[in-house]
Amino acid sequence: MVNANRYHTVIRALLLAGFAGITTSYALADATSRAQAARIYDRLTGVPPTAAVLNTMESIIDSGSKSDAAYVDAAYEAMKNKNFYNVTLVNMVTPWTNEEQAVIPLDSETEGTLNDYTATVIGAVRDDLDFRRILFDDILYVANDDLLVAPYNVPAYSYSSNAHYKTLETLDVNLGGTFGSPAKDVLVSVSQASKTGGELTPAETAGVITTRAGAKAFFTMGTNRAMFRFTMLNHLCNDMEQVKDVTRTPDRIQQDVSRSPGGDSRIFFNACLGCHSGMDPMNQAFAYYNYDDAAGKLDFNASGELDPDTGTRVKKKYRINEYNFVTGYKTVDDSWINYWRNGPNKLLGWDQSLQGSGNGAKSMAQELAYSEAFAQCQVKKVFQTVCLRAPVDSSDRAKINDIVAKFKQPFKASGYELKRVFAEAATYCK
Amino acid sequence: MSTALDKMKNNCSSAWKAVLVSLFALVSVYGCGGGESTSSNPNLGAPIVVGYTGPAPATADVQAFKINVWDNLSATNRCGSCHVAGGQSPQFVRQDDVNLAYSAANSVVNGQLVINLAAPDQSLMVTKVRNGHQCWLADNNICADTIQGYIEAWGNGTSTTSKEIVLEAPTVLRDPGASKSFPTDSSLFASTIHPVLLAHCAGCHSETSTNKQSPFFANSDPDSAYNNAKQKINIDSPGDSRFVVRLCDLNVPPSDPLDTNTNCQGHNSWSGDFRADANVMLTAIQNFANGITPTQIDPSLVISKLMRVEDGIVSAGGARHEANLIALWEFKTKQGNIAYDTSNIEPATHLNLFGEYNWLGSYGIQFINGAAQASAADARKLHDLIKSTGEYSIEAWVVPENVAQSDRNIISYSSNATSRNFAMKQTQYNYEFYNRSESSINLGNGTPFLTTDPNDEDLQATLQHVVMTYKVGEGRKIYVNGQDTGDTDPVAYGLLTDWSNNYAFILGNEVGSYRADDMNNSAWKGSVRLVAIHNRALTPAQIQQNFDAGVGEKYYLLFSISHLISVPDSYILMEVTQFDNYSFQFSKPTYVNLGTNPTIGSIPVKGLRIGINGKEAAVGQGYINVDTTITTNNQVLSDLGTIIPLEKGFTDDFFLSFEVLGSNSHVYVEADPPTPAAPADSEDVSDIGVRTFDEVNQTMSALTGVPFNNTNIMNKFNSLKQQLPSKETFIGFVSAHSIGISQLAFEYCNELVEDSTLRANFFGAAPYNFNSFDQNVSTAFGTGLSTQKQAVVNALYDRMIGIPATATDNATVLSTTITRAQLMTELVDPANAPAGDPFAIPSTSTNAGNLFDRLMRSCSEGSVSCTTAQGTKDFVKAMCTAVLGSAVTLVQ
Repeated sequence: MVNANRYHTVIRALLLAGFAGITTSYALADATSRAQAARIYDRLTGVPPTAAVLNTMESIIDSGSKSDAAYVDAAYEAMKNKNFYNVTLVNMVTPWTNEEQAVIPLDSETEGTLNDYTATVIGAVRDDLDFRRILFDDILYVANDDLLVAPYNVPAYSYSSNAHYKTLETLDVNLGGTFGSPAKDVLVSVSQASKTGGELTPAETAGVITTRAGAKAFFTMGTNRAMFRFTMLNHLCNDMEQVKDVTRTPDRIQQDVSRSPGGDSRIFFNACLGCHSGMDPMNQAFAYYNYDDAAGKLDFNASGELDPDTGTRVKKKYRINEYNFVTGYKTVDDSWINYWRNGPNKLLGWDQSLQGSGNGAKSMAQELAYSEAFAQCQVKKVFQTVCLRAPVDSSDRAKINDIVAKFKQPFKASGYELKRVFAEAATYCK
Repeated sequence: MSTALDKMKNNCSSAWKAVLVSLFALVSVYGCGGGESTSSNPNLGAPIVVGYTGPAPATADVQAFKINVWDNLSATNRCGSCHVAGGQSPQFVRQDDVNLAYSAANSVVNGQLVINLAAPDQSLMVTKVRNGHQCWLADNNICADTIQGYIEAWGNGTSTTSKEIVLEAPTVLRDPGASKSFPTDSSLFASTIHPVLLAHCAGCHSETSTNKQSPFFANSDPDSAYNNAKQKINIDSPGDSRFVVRLCDLNVPPSDPLDTNTNCQGHNSWSGDFRADANVMLTAIQNFANGITPTQIDPSLVISKLMRVEDGIVSAGGARHEANLIALWEFKTKQGNIAYDTSNIEPATHLNLFGEYNWLGSYGIQFINGAAQASAADARKLHDLIKSTGEYSIEAWVVPENVAQSDRNIISYSSNATSRNFAMKQTQYNYEFYNRSESSINLGNGTPFLTTDPNDEDLQATLQHVVMTYKVGEGRKIYVNGQDTGDTDPVAYGLLTDWSNNYAFILGNEVGSYRADDMNNSAWKGSVRLVAIHNRALTPAQIQQNFDAGVGEKYYLLFSISHLISVPDSYILMEVTQFDNYSFQFSKPTYVNLGTNPTIGSIPVKGLRIGINGKEAAVGQGYINVDTTITTNNQVLSDLGTIIPLEKGFTDDFFLSFEVLGSNSHVYVEADPPTPAAPADSEDVSDIGVRTFDEVNQTMSALTGVPFNNTNIMNKFNSLKQQLPSKETFIGFVSAHSIGISQLAFEYCNELVEDSTLRANFFGAAPYNFNSFDQNVSTAFGTGLSTQKQAVVNALYDRMIGIPATATDNATVLSTTITRAQLMTELVDPANAPAGDPFAIPSTSTNAGNLFDRLMRSCSEGSVSCTTAQGTKDFVKAMCTAVLGSAVTLVQ
C-alpha cells in the first residue's frame, strides 16, 4: 500500500504545481501527418500511441500522400491496438446492454462489464462481419477454449451466468486479437444455439437479442416491449417518441394498453396509439421469449411447449392486464407485421426485398437490421464515439451519408464492416 | 320552470300541497347564485308508506305484483295520490283492493299495456313517465328506469335474466352527406357563443366562481370553455341545443298564451323572460353553426348508409346479479348535482355532488376535486341492512385517473379520516379494503386494512370492475375484473357489531375532510361508472356475472349495405358504447341479414373503415385489415374492438366505408411521406473531449507500462471508477473527476517507480539512463538543471507527451502539445525557482516555481525524507504524477 505520508506530500505537490502549465495536448487538430496519426489513434483506441505505432502510421499517411485512403489504412493500423476492442468498443456497446444505458452498469461490480452481447459485437467487428448479422444471426463470440485452462482459468461459457466474460475482462489480452504462441484468437465465433443448453434452435436465435445479456436486460419481467424499444433506440437510433404515428391502425395493440388512461381517451389517441400501433405488432415477434430471473437465463417456449396461463406458446406476459381493453388484440402466436413500412416511418428505409411480416424474433430483427435507419444509426454512433460529438452541420451530415454509403460497400469483406466506419470517421475528424 | 311538481300541482289536489310545502323549503339550498333560480328541488324522500288493509292477493302473481310494484308505487308521493280508487285511470295502485289494482296494471290503454311484462320498457307506466309524466325526481329517465326495474323484478322473480336483443331494420335509411363537425380551434366559439355564456352563466359554470358548478363552459379561457361547451351545443339543430332547451324549448308553445314562460325550463334565466333568453342563446348558436363549413363526403368512397348512435337498438348489457342489492348508483342523469340511488330499495340513498366533477356521457361521474355524499340519515339503510346479515359487498366500476395518488377514498362509509365502517381506497397501484368489525379485530377506522399486492399492480388507471366482499368465515376479499386477487385478510374475521349508524356515505373524498374551496387534501381523482352495495358477500360466480354484464349502455347499429351488394336486407352490425367523454367504442363488426331465408353467396369484404360526419375517422381505424368473404348470416368480420373519437356525441353521423365490398372497390393509396427538411445547424461544439474512465485507466497503463490488472491498480481503479469521467464532454467535468484522476495517476506512478523492472524500462533505458533509485535525493538528482533531472523529464516527455520518432528528438515531437522546454520549466528548471510560499496556491504558473524545488522544501519540512533513497523515488513519483494526471493525458 502507499505510504500515507508520502501520498499526502505528492498530492500536495501536485496541487501546488497545478496543471495550468500542462494543458495542451496533441488532441488539438493539426495538419502534420504525425499529429493527425496521433489523433486518429487516440480517438480509435482511447489511449495515446507509442512512438513505434505512430511512426508506422505516419509512414502510411505520408507514403499515401495524405489521401483519405492512406488515413483509412493508418486507422486500420491503429485498430490493431487492444484498446480499440477492450475500451472503445466495450464502452460504446455496454450502454446498449442495460436499460439505464449506463457505461458502468449497476451490476458491474458483481457481474462485470463484458458480456456475451458486447463480446459478440466485438467479434463481429474484428472479423469484419456484415454488421447487420448481430441482430438476427445464430452468432455468439466466446473465449477460446485454450483460455479455459491454466494460467487463464476462464470459466466455460454458460447461458445462465456471466462468469465467463467477467473473468475474461480481467485478463490482459486483446479481445480483438490473439494470445499465446502459436497465436490463437481470444474470441472465437460459435453457434449461439449450441451454447444455450438446448433452449434455442438456430432458427430461434436472434443475435444479441437472444444473448444472455440481452435477454437479462430486456426480456425480464414486463411485456418484452423493452426489448423492442431498446433495439430501436440502440440500433435504429429512434426512441418510440420519434416514430410516433397515430395514423396507423390500432388492430394489433394488445389488451393491456388502456384506451382511456385515467378516463381520458384523448391521451390514447394522441400518445399511446402513436407508438403502440407500430410497436405491438413488431413486439409480438418475441411472444415466446422470457427471461427467467430465477434460472438466470432466457426461457423460450419451444414448439409443443405451452404456457400454463395462455394455453399456447405465447408467454403470460403478453396477456397481462387483459381487462384493460378486453376487445384489444390478443397475441396468439409470434407473428409480426411492420405497419411502419407506410406513413411517416417509411423514411426509416425498410428493405423492399423483405416481406415486412413474418414469425419470430429472427425475421423481425432482420427487418430492423436491413433498414436504412440501422446503417445510419451505426454510423452516427461511431461518429459520436470517434469525433466525441454528434454531427452538427451540413458537412457533418453529408459525411455521415458518405460513410453510410461506404459502410454498405464491400471493403475488406462483404460490406457492412463496422471497422471501416471507424476508420472513415477517424479520418474525417483527424 | 315547469317541473314535475308543477304538473302534479295542476293535476292533483290537496294531497300534494302538504308535500310541496315541505319541499319548497329545500329549494334554496340547491339554487345557484348566478341568476334567478327557477329549479324546483326533486323529491328525494322515501315513498310515504300506505298500510294495505284490503283483500289478500288472490294468486301468487298478484302477490308478486304487490311486492314488486304496488308496494313501491302506491305511496302518496308516488302514484298513489292519483291512480287510486275514484282517481285517475288506470287505477293500478288502488289501495282498496290489490287484486283490482293488478287488473288495472294488466289493462290496455290506448293500445298499450299499462304493464308489459314481456317488454317492461314498453309499459305505458314507463313510457309515460319517461316522457315527463309525474316523475318524483328531477330526471324523468331515473323515475322511468325505477318503475321499469319494479316491473322487471315482478316479471323475473329476480333481475338476473338476460334479455335477447331483437334486431330491427332501421325505419329510414339515410345516405351520408355533407356534415358539420366542431372546429378544432375555439375562435368561432369565442366570437359567438362564449360572450353569452360569460355574461349569463359564469356565476356558476366557471372554475373561478364561488358557486362553481361543472361543466365549466363559462370559463374565461375560450379553449377551456369551448371544450366543456361542445356537449351542450347541437350544431345540426341549434334549437335542440341543451343551452337553449334549458332556458326554453322553443319548439313547444306556451300552454298559457298569457304566460309565455309556461312550458319552459327557465334554468337561471337572466331576464325573467325565458323565451327571450332562449332566443338570445339560439341566435348565438345559429351564428356559430352557420360559420362551420360542412365536410363534403368523398364521392369515390364505397360507403354504407348512415347511422347515429341514437338510432341504435339499446341493449342494457348482460344481466347483473342484484338479488341482495341494497344501494345502486348508475350515474345516468348526465347533469345536475344529485346522483340517484336506483336500487329500488327504500329509502333511497341519493348522493349530493360537491366541488369539481364532471358527468360522463358514458354514465358516470369524474371526480376532479370533489365528492358525492349522502348524510348519515340517508345512508342508514346501509348500516341496518348490512348489520342484519353480517356480510356485504362493495362493487364499483372505477377509472382511477392515475397510479400516483395514495390513501384516497373511492368509496367510504365514515365520519372522518379516523372513523369508518368500510372503505374502498386507492394507494398507487393498490386497492385497499377497510372494514370495521369487532374492536378486538379491526379498529374503529377499519384497520388493519387489506391491500392488493403492490407487486401485482392490480389497480390500473383504466376502467376496472372492483368488488370487495366481507363475511364471517371468509373475512375480506378483493376481486378485480372478476378475478380474486388472492390477497388474504391480515386479521381474522369478526362480527360487524361495532358499526356506527351515524356515518355518512361518500364517494371520491373523506367525510369532513374537504372544504368547498379546497378538496385536494383528500380528494380522489378518477371516475366512477357504477357503485353498488350488496348485503351479502357476492360469490365468485356472481362477481364474474356482474363483470361480464359490463357497465354503460350498448347500442346495436345496423349499417345498411344492401345498396352495394345484390343481397337485400344486408347490414353490418356494430356494437357501440360510449367509451368515455371523448370516444365511442365500436366492436365486433358482423354481417347480418334481416331477410327471410336470404341467399348470401360469396361477398368479398376488405378494408373496413369507420366514417364520422362526412369523412373517415383519422385515428382508431381498427378494421382496415379485415379481408374475408361473407358467406353466412351473422358472420363476424372481426372480434376486435376499437375506439373512435366522438365529435358531437350521439348525433355524430357514422357510416362505414370499404376498400372492397362485393363488386365495389375504392383503392387506398398512401402517399409517400415528405422528405424532412435538413435540420438547422447546431451550435459549434468542441471537437475535443476528456478521456472516460476506462480510457483514463488504459492510458495510464499504456504510458507507464504498468499492467491495468496489477492488483493494486485494479483495486484503486475499481474504487475510483465512479469518480472518473463517464462522458467525453467538458461540460460535465468537475473537480471530483480531477481528484480521482490524480489519485489513479499516483497509483500508476507509485507502481511504476516501486517496480524495479518497470522503472528500469521507463527511466533507466538509453538514452535516459536514470537508475539512481537507490540514492538519496541530492545524490540522485545533483544540483541545478542536472543531467539526471533532465533525464527524468525527458523520459516522461518522450513517453507521455511528445512521443517523438526517436528519443529526445525535438524535431519529431507532436506539434500540438507542450514543448520539452516547457515541461522542463514546470518540473525542474532552476530558472523557474519558486517565489514566496511554495505551498500557497499560485496565482499564475510563472511564480509557482518548478515542482522539484518546491518538493525540496518538503525536505526541510520533514514530510519527505530527502536523505534516503525513498525520497528519490517520491520525487520521481511526484513528477510522473504531475504529467500523468495532467491535461496532456486527460484531453482526447
